[in-house]
Amino acid sequence: MNNINPNLNTNSFQKLKKFLLSKSKYNFCNFIFFVILISLIFNLLTWIFINSNWKVVTSNLNLYAFGSFPIDQQWRPTLWFFSLLSITFITVYGPKWNWLRKNLIFGWIGTVPLGIYLLNGGLGLNPVMTRHWGGLTLTILITSCSILFSLPIGILLALCRRSSIFLIQKLCSFYIDVMRAVPLIAVLFFGQLLIPLFLPVGLEIDRVWRAIIAFTFFVSAYIAEDIRGGLQSIPNNQIEAAKSLGLNKYQINIFILIPQALRVALPAITNHLIGLFQNTSLMSILGLMELLGVSRSILANPEYIGQYIEVYIWLASVYWLFCTIMAFVSKKLEQKMTINKGY
Amino acid sequence: MKPILTAKNLTKSYAKGILALNKVSFTLDQGKVLVVMGPSGSGKSTLIRTINGLETFDEGELNVLGIKISADSDERKIQRIRRRVGMVFQQFNLFPHLSILENITLAPIQVQKRNKKEAEEYGMKLLCQMGIESHAKKYPGQLSGGEQQRVAIARSLALKPELLLFDEPTSALDPERINEVLDAMRRLADQGMTMIVVTHEIKFAMEVSDQVLFIDSGKILEISSPEVFFSNASHERSRKFLNQIN
Repeated sequence: MNNINPNLNTNSFQKLKKFLLSKSKYNFCNFIFFVILISLIFNLLTWIFINSNWKVVTSNLNLYAFGSFPIDQQWRPTLWFFSLLSITFITVYGPKWNWLRKNLIFGWIGTVPLGIYLLNGGLGLNPVMTRHWGGLTLTILITSCSILFSLPIGILLALCRRSSIFLIQKLCSFYIDVMRAVPLIAVLFFGQLLIPLFLPVGLEIDRVWRAIIAFTFFVSAYIAEDIRGGLQSIPNNQIEAAKSLGLNKYQINIFILIPQALRVALPAITNHLIGLFQNTSLMSILGLMELLGVSRSILANPEYIGQYIEVYIWLASVYWLFCTIMAFVSKKLEQKMTINKGY
Repeated sequence: MKPILTAKNLTKSYAKGILALNKVSFTLDQGKVLVVMGPSGSGKSTLIRTINGLETFDEGELNVLGIKISADSDERKIQRIRRRVGMVFQQFNLFPHLSILENITLAPIQVQKRNKKEAEEYGMKLLCQMGIESHAKKYPGQLSGGEQQRVAIARSLALKPELLLFDEPTSALDPERINEVLDAMRRLADQGMTMIVVTHEIKFAMEVSDQVLFIDSGKILEISSPEVFFSNASHERSRKFLNQIN
């Protein structure tokens, strides 16, 4: 039996080889495709290096990164970027010390208040108004704050959806269903236009925070569903074992169910978090100067009129870079959890 | 001898008319080993799982370690029992995301609020007793079935239980691995642990048990000493069962 498979493989491989290489008409097809491909690459390269004018990108790098953040204070967002980068690096390539691994999560949580403090100022730093926050800084801030808030809310929603208390269970299901039925842009409009109406007079929430609240509301519903899937995949005998050790419901959730559910749900959650990162660009429609918003204002500058292609290729590569980093970190985390735990 | 467990007329029905437990009554004294035998679907797992409240029952009364529970007892009362009664499952049911030592210390730290160092020392002592102290830092997925089951026994011992329940502890193991688990159980019995064991291992039952309980269709057909049960079973159904598995 064992010998059949390799034979089959060589046979099919040879067939494929024959199919692709030996017959003249296929050779001809290959040649045509090759020519088209080469000319495409050639045209692209000549456009990138000769015809295009990257001045719109290179002379505005500061704007893309920090928006209209005061120039003498730009070390603050730079420092924050650096802290994010280093914690990412430690997570992926850092040493395997147990205490480090266990406390890394606090490092990640800590980057968000650190970022807010560095951007907002106060306590020894010059305060900077949120309308000066912008560019990639703002994009990353909105993303990281929304992630930090929506993960625990998502976990809570998922647990409540499985609650034995009828009212809580129905309320959470209703919330999740509504959020999934409404398009994100509508939720964002709600956040920008309706939250101020609901608040009592005198209390005002800043635009950036309204955006973060809206994203948190939206994404937590999706994350809740991912985690519910993870919870359902845990066999019942895990719960029985925990019960037989005398653990109560909360202890079972915290120590047994949630850690295992998060491991299972990690790929799906990453998916939604990458989506969240990209969707922050919708805020440019609502007047926030995040990465896309800044780019649109740069394009409105008469000096750079008509240079859409350069700007959007640049934007696409920045978004691509950050999404790839997120996917890479998640993949590494997945691998680490799998190897350690011998699933 | 003071009885550790008294069951009086336990009755449970799954669907209409089908009784999983049919007026089950028995007592178990401290330090004794009770082996429960019966064909599959006879209710032996249900019986052992009602003792620590993993299954509910419809009628009757259960007195475990002086805690009386009836059909309508609340979760809290059952939890008091679970803290003093250990259980070992057929499928080990270790927590795959925790290391072996964390598996063992989780309940002492969280349930009994013992400090971490003390719990870990006691956990290591239990692992030594089970002969698997070298695996303490590994994860369940890296261990063989027999080793996992010994970890599960150590885990149930970590709460210093007064009664241990074994639900077919060797049924999911390779034949070669069965003895290492049975030996560990034998040592526990020698130390005077009160145990209820659901098993098909006749040799173990003959050597270790003080009483054998034979159950079929939710009804106890006989409770007798192993000498009597294996040589001269009083009930015809038990004799037929023993013939089948011999």
